[in-house]
Amino acid sequence: MKLPECAAALVDLALKAGDPYSAAAVHVIAAGKARRKLEELMFSKRRDALALARWEHTPASVLEALCGASDEAIVVRLDKNQNTPAQAISRLYVTESLSSKNSLSLTVLVAQHRHASLAVLRNIAQFENDEASLLAVSKNLASNSEVLSMLLSRFESNSILEALQKNISEHPSTSPQLLEQLYDKGDVYVKAAVIGHANCSQRLIDQAVQEESVLIQRQLAADRRLSNDVISRLSLHQDKSVRCAVASNLTAPKDVIKSLATDDSDVVRRVVASRSDLTAHSINSLMNDPDVWVRQKLARNSIVPYRVLAKLSQDLQADVRRGVARNAKCSVKLLRVLAKDEDYWVRSAVAYQRRTPKQLLVDLVEDTAVDVLSGVANNPNTPQKLLKKLTVSKEADVRRGVILNQSATRLTLLPLLEDAYYLHRLMLVANTKLKDKDKWHLCFDPDFQVRFAAFRYFANSFIKSGS
Amino acid sequence: MKILVAVKQVAALDEDFEIRADEKDVDEDFLLYDLNEWDDFSLEEAMKIKEAGTTEVEVVVVSVGPDRVDESLRKCLAKGADRAIRVWDDSIEGSDAIAIGRILAAIAKKEAPDMIFAGVQSSDQAYASTGISTAAYLNWPHAAVVADLQYQPGNKSAVVRRELEGGLLQEVEINCPAVLTIQLGINKPRYASLRGIKQAAAKPIEEVTLADIGLSGSDVGVGNSMSHVRRMYIPAKGRAEMIEGTIAEQAAKLIQIMNEFKGV
Repeated sequence: MKLPECAAALVDLALKAGDPYSAAAVHVIAAGKARRKLEELMFSKRRDALALARWEHTPASVLEALCGASDEAIVVRLDKNQNTPAQAISRLYVTESLSSKNSLSLTVLVAQHRHASLAVLRNIAQFENDEASLLAVSKNLASNSEVLSMLLSRFESNSILEALQKNISEHPSTSPQLLEQLYDKGDVYVKAAVIGHANCSQRLIDQAVQEESVLIQRQLAADRRLSNDVISRLSLHQDKSVRCAVASNLTAPKDVIKSLATDDSDVVRRVVASRSDLTAHSINSLMNDPDVWVRQKLARNSIVPYRVLAKLSQDLQADVRRGVARNAKCSVKLLRVLAKDEDYWVRSAVAYQRRTPKQLLVDLVEDTAVDVLSGVANNPNTPQKLLKKLTVSKEADVRRGVILNQSATRLTLLPLLEDAYYLHRLMLVANTKLKDKDKWHLCFDPDFQVRFAAFRYFANSFIKSGS
Repeated sequence: MKILVAVKQVAALDEDFEIRADEKDVDEDFLLYDLNEWDDFSLEEAMKIKEAGTTEVEVVVVSVGPDRVDESLRKCLAKGADRAIRVWDDSIEGSDAIAIGRILAAIAKKEAPDMIFAGVQSSDQAYASTGISTAAYLNWPHAAVVADLQYQPGNKSAVVRRELEGGLLQEVEINCPAVLTIQLGINKPRYASLRGIKQAAAKPIEEVTLADIGLSGSDVGVGNSMSHVRRMYIPAKGRAEMIEGTIAEQAAKLIQIMNEFKGV
């Protein structure tokens, strides 16, 4: 069958296929009578309509078309489906509000939907009294500072107020002014959340320095606006979680970090070992650390010099040697040694490493461990000849590695269009190395998800080209 | 040499569902059908024997169910099964696992296999008794929850490892022919190749009636089963509490709960 030359021809093919999922894929490019026919195909059987209303890949236009359904089971699924577009959510809310059987659970679903419009969220915040719905609005990332402020202003002393304060203190849209209000009225958890908030004002940071709560100090210690004096003081805090936060603070002075590199707590030293501003002194101290995780994190750190990586590459713990093999700056010399490591998990890291040269990959392809072969298959330095060999591997993970390989050419990928694993065929639909004529047969694949992805790919192509 | 593999098309539940008006099952509109997961492993075990042996082995899959079951049988054919049989009669509706075992035993008498494989249980009903009841009707030995199988076609016995509680394995020598119920993880089931799927679409599925295997409506169905469903329902929700508060507060509450359980 030939590639269709226009959107209408593609829609016609989807209709002839008689498959609701193929119909859903092309619905957005169909118009008039053809669109109605597609909807008939998709929605005439209740089980198909229910399945599409719930499916996470159902396109927004299909969910919008389903929005007029009177079947409550479908409405619940539309309210829950994160792809349901804003307009449909608004319509569902209005219909629900006007219904005599007003259902609180449906309002909650609308209140927590990521596509709920500001108008709907404002309406719920202002007029609904159901606690679950109001709390859902306070957690919804689509709410803005105005809606959040409106919610708080409705309650002065109510059991819901405390819960709202907590949700709003962590909401990314909460304004600095609202955070100040919350800090003044909230408990220690609210205060800590406010101090950790990206919109927290300098005034509150300065005020929080006087607080004694560990929770607040922990949030404060990670703030980049702190003075060196405060950071130094917090680095001596008796609670390790506060010292950890200091160790993660990018503005912490070098002498503080040097001191934390020998901290009593493993957890603190692990954070230090990942920093990009370590001094030679700290690196020397950390490379001999008794904690495996500290040495592993140091081994992954790209600022670590060759001599340290060479020592860590001989560590008794395989996880540390693997860390060296995964280090973005690991030398080819070390990779050659690690490619012969007794532990397959270390060799696998070499196989995935972008600095591993072709010849080493040629050697590694003889390995028997699936994880090593998957790494070779993924590596863009692997010669095409080897990639072609790996496309017939019995292991799906290895074949998938070839599909994910950015350097795999069209000729290498072509046999994988017939792969037994449906997910591999589905992944190839979006592959830019393959031509449309290579992918066309996937529209008639035995798996409905592959058919959907292929029809959708061609529908999007027509949208892009405007034909 | 012939291996009969009993398979079932099971119903998986969608997230939200409705119970049927007669309260005996879930409304069919909310069910998604697929081959029982355990049966995928049974078929693979049969295919391994077929592909490994020097003796010619025929793998026959059989299922009891209406037309829609053909889709699952075709999946088995696409994976390499030689033949597929589907038994159905409206009077079978509502049969319990024992009555289904009676039907499968009748098929076995007609097919005369050397071994019968079935899944340990079906994911939708979980009676775990279809394979065992088939063995009982045939008066054959059986081994349940088989996690490993050593069997050469033509041998008079097989060695199976059965999975028991607490990570124990029990090695059993069993006379053949036998019925084995196969456990998940015994092998790595294959995906059907596209070529296999195309070929399977053209293969016939033998439709067998009760009369073809010497049974009648009086041997099957709700009325002739030893058990029947009285009602299906969603029980009242148990004790569960959403932990609310800021992230730090939720973590603190969680630690408190864990400490309380540990008696700290």
